[in-house]
Amino acid sequence: MKYSTLVIAVLLVAAALIAGCSQQQATTQQPSAASSQGIIKVGVIASLTGPASNVGNSMWQSAQVAADKINSDGGVTLKDGSKAQIKLIVGDDESTQQGGQTAATKLITDDKVDILVGGYSSAVTSAYEQTIAEYKVPYIVTGASSPIITHRTDIDTSYIFHHCPTTDSYGQYTTTFIDQVLRSALDKKFSFAADRPIRLALLYQDTAFGKGVQTAVNNTITNNKLNIQLVAQQSFKMGESDFRTQLTLIKAANPDAVYLAAFPNEGAPIITQARRDIGLNTIFLNVENNDNAQFYKDLGQYGEGAIIESRFSPYVAPTGAVADAQSTFKQSYFTKFRTYPDMMGASTYEGVFIGAQAIGNAGTTDKTAVRQALVALKMPQVIEAMKDKTISFSPDYRESSFDLWMEQLSYNATIGETRPAIVWPDNLKTSDFTLPSWYVAGSSS
Amino acid sequence: MYFNRDELAKYGMIATLAIAVVIPFLTDSMFILNLLVLMLIFIIFASSWNLLAYSGQGSLGHAAFFGIGAYASTLIAAQSGITPFVTIFIGAAVAAFIGILIGLTCVRLKEWFLAMVTFGFAIIVQTLTVSVLAPVTGGWDGLSSPRLLSPSIPGYQLIEYYAILVITIASIAAIWYIMKSRIGLAFLAIRENELEARAAGLDPVRYRLLAFAFSAYIAGVAGALEIHHIGYLTPELYGVDNSFWPITYVILGGLGTLAGPVVGTVVLTVIWEGLKATGLTFGRYVIVGVILILAIIFLPRGLVSLPEQVQEWLKRRRRKEPLPEPVGD
Amino acid sequence: MDTLGIFLQIIFWGLYAGCIYILLATGLNLIFGVMKIVNFAHGEFLMIGAYITATVFFLTGINPYLIILLSMLALIGIGAVIERFCFRPILGTGKLNEIFLSIGLIYIFQNGAAMIWGDSWQSVKSPYDGITVPVGSLSVPLDYILIMLFTAVILCGLYLFLKKTTIGMQMRATSQNRKGAMLVGINVERIDIISFGLGCALAAAGGTLWVVSGQVFNPYMGSIPAVKAFAIIILGGLGSIPGAIIGGLLMGLAENGAAVLLGGIWKDAISFVILIVALVVRPTGLFGEKGE
Repeated sequence: MKYSTLVIAVLLVAAALIAGCSQQQATTQQPSAASSQGIIKVGVIASLTGPASNVGNSMWQSAQVAADKINSDGGVTLKDGSKAQIKLIVGDDESTQQGGQTAATKLITDDKVDILVGGYSSAVTSAYEQTIAEYKVPYIVTGASSPIITHRTDIDTSYIFHHCPTTDSYGQYTTTFIDQVLRSALDKKFSFAADRPIRLALLYQDTAFGKGVQTAVNNTITNNKLNIQLVAQQSFKMGESDFRTQLTLIKAANPDAVYLAAFPNEGAPIITQARRDIGLNTIFLNVENNDNAQFYKDLGQYGEGAIIESRFSPYVAPTGAVADAQSTFKQSYFTKFRTYPDMMGASTYEGVFIGAQAIGNAGTTDKTAVRQALVALKMPQVIEAMKDKTISFSPDYRESSFDLWMEQLSYNATIGETRPAIVWPDNLKTSDFTLPSWYVAGSSS
Repeated sequence: MYFNRDELAKYGMIATLAIAVVIPFLTDSMFILNLLVLMLIFIIFASSWNLLAYSGQGSLGHAAFFGIGAYASTLIAAQSGITPFVTIFIGAAVAAFIGILIGLTCVRLKEWFLAMVTFGFAIIVQTLTVSVLAPVTGGWDGLSSPRLLSPSIPGYQLIEYYAILVITIASIAAIWYIMKSRIGLAFLAIRENELEARAAGLDPVRYRLLAFAFSAYIAGVAGALEIHHIGYLTPELYGVDNSFWPITYVILGGLGTLAGPVVGTVVLTVIWEGLKATGLTFGRYVIVGVILILAIIFLPRGLVSLPEQVQEWLKRRRRKEPLPEPVGD
Repeated sequence: MDTLGIFLQIIFWGLYAGCIYILLATGLNLIFGVMKIVNFAHGEFLMIGAYITATVFFLTGINPYLIILLSMLALIGIGAVIERFCFRPILGTGKLNEIFLSIGLIYIFQNGAAMIWGDSWQSVKSPYDGITVPVGSLSVPLDYILIMLFTAVILCGLYLFLKKTTIGMQMRATSQNRKGAMLVGINVERIDIISFGLGCALAAAGGTLWVVSGQVFNPYMGSIPAVKAFAIIILGGLGSIPGAIIGGLLMGLAENGAAVLLGGIWKDAISFVILIVALVVRPTGLFGEKGE
């Protein structure tokens, strides 16, 4: 074997590595020198490559829109009265655990960011949580939907704040909607007996996300002793495109409604196949991440009557101040990137604002002080409707509470797509929930 | 100017080791230290894949062994409280055992059937992990893994780096020993010509299984190290990414050579991080793909053969000889 | 609906879903038969075909079914370039090298497509969306019938091409005996390039049909169908088109059965369980004396 020559290669490579290291340090030294002159460094962890890159780019771009807004409004006021500008640094987690850990370590130890925002896949996020815990950098998670992120006990998660509804909230909220709104509509139209259980079917993605929703639905029914019977629980593989077999079995179970825990690229085909190919004419309830323009486009006429649990929609906003803020955000995003942000983008946009507010409240970028400020935070809602119109983090698991809503879609023949209207809860709604004329209720026969 | 190969190899190895030992002192960046740790782990992983390929068996699902080692070690460490430094080697034994099982189905297969089976095997293992085994493995939610060293120990990152460096050197030495031994010669003989090897009294099935066991064991060590370093374990570990990266590293570095996986991993990691610093996203993968294809076509023995090829080329030029036709048939 | 009705329905959907697999598997069979190369990046040609169809449709708005010709032609070109500059230089250096090279191609195509077209899921609306045709007790979307028709026409065309034309006969000759073909004066390198191009064109046709049936697509859509197409041709027999069709259909049924009985996650794994069991029983493939 020709070790001699290989060894030269190894040497060259090692030299290159050292050169690379020193260069990397040289480039990152400059911003840290500048930080004393009123710059707040916000690290954004997003999946710019890999399977989650679609959402990741929306998150990173939304963060940029937020930073532009804060900076053009004069920046963040610190304790000594000086104004500081926000400087964003992005870390690509490559949708992998190694990538996530490398990105987080780089942002924290090399770029020396003052606060972190972002994080989408729960699996990727969990891989660098211990790095966050170790360096005690405040981190506002704005994309991961698993409650585990802040519920872990093996590490200190006290610096991690969760600003994004979890699968627990989706499941709980939607199940409550079914129990109250759907039940009364059914009883009114079909004059069912008062003790008739609602027949609900579940079709979920076989991942942490889908199983999280499944668990939440089951728990909500058991804990609140709801009169809902789960007549079918079917699952599918992430990225699946053919759901007809599962839907055939669901139809055979005669449900009153079908709850889908799916991504938009799965949710739209599911509803289309159910309505067009299987003849399953029922109400489909969708998880919030489906509420994007592509979903409406893919659904076409088959979306009629479907429900989406949501907090940020391309086509509808709850009445009031939030509506204006949302449209301003969408407009500035469009001006900058020629496209529209998605829901995870919206919470990341807010994440940057929350970070800026906490640093402003603390009056310093000292991490312990910023964490204290986040714990005590009570800031007015930004673009999404929050409980009590206030962003604050719960004392137990540091989760913010969103004011979620339910939308119902109705078909608009001129555009060839459905459009949503908010039907629940009462303080946000713009329209009433109705059962479509073609709706067929389930039966136990 | 002539190089004495063996001498250069010796000095080169010593120099590489010296660099590996002093590099943490040249930088105070935790990012670089963390990157180096991940790089060492992938050197072990790539070397394990390389060992299997050395025996003529190309696996497209090595992430399976990587992941099994990680799960086994984590579960043993979490249940028994034994330090991960010990459970890594027990967990890897589980990977080796499974390796023998999958090897049994593979040994009689043509090389690309084997590639399909190993690819599918990684998917099957992931599926089992999140379904049947979910009560033990935590399913999709995963489970937390005991750290190699507690973060409360001052300078624990440095100790961890050196510990992993020692394990890396030990793994490479073990692979070197296997390659040089009768077993390694048997691997080579069976790879080059199975019929002749059989005629010489070698049992191909036995040696192929041995290769699977060794390779799975070392891959298991790498997986366990990574997960005890990261501290949290999810089934994404079995992903295609983790199966394809070691292949890319080895092909670029030099298939079937001891130094190949090391060179390939180091070079590609540096290129990858360099490209990342320029802000490229999808372009990074395109460039890596192009590099891989160019290497397969123009540098079939990998980067480790580069200096030799350059020397050859210079020699010919000096003699004003025409370059020989590329021997690609 | 009675049990028989449900069963018939599932068979029908299996057929429809099988069309894409059959086109992929036939293309792979063609390439493997002539050149004996294994290209794991074959699914990327499906993806490129899908994007070409969508792009042309968005730009011109013509009937997407007509674009199938264009996407097939484009992929013949792309396939020829890939064959000439990537696979030909390493022809004969071993199957492993081909597999590794196709990993490089996967990186390039998937991420190149993400750079050009973005990485979000997209879809196209067929002009016949919403039109259904009664077939027995089922009411079936017209698009599905068209897709089956197109697949049948393409396969018949391929059959005639292989049986009746000179090039087709040369291809068959090359696949039966490469050296012999060389001896009788067939330019096997030309045949290689044509076969590879045709194989890619079949994948492109699959991509077009995928798009017009309203299925969503993104740059990563091709990998799993390609690997499954490989599993199908190993099971169904290398070089056997009926084997690929039956194999594809059985695979579709097994997948759907597993997804329902064992959980959705088993859908991919079950194909490989079947493959491994089959290979343990018959290490050369179920019908696989031919080929290699």
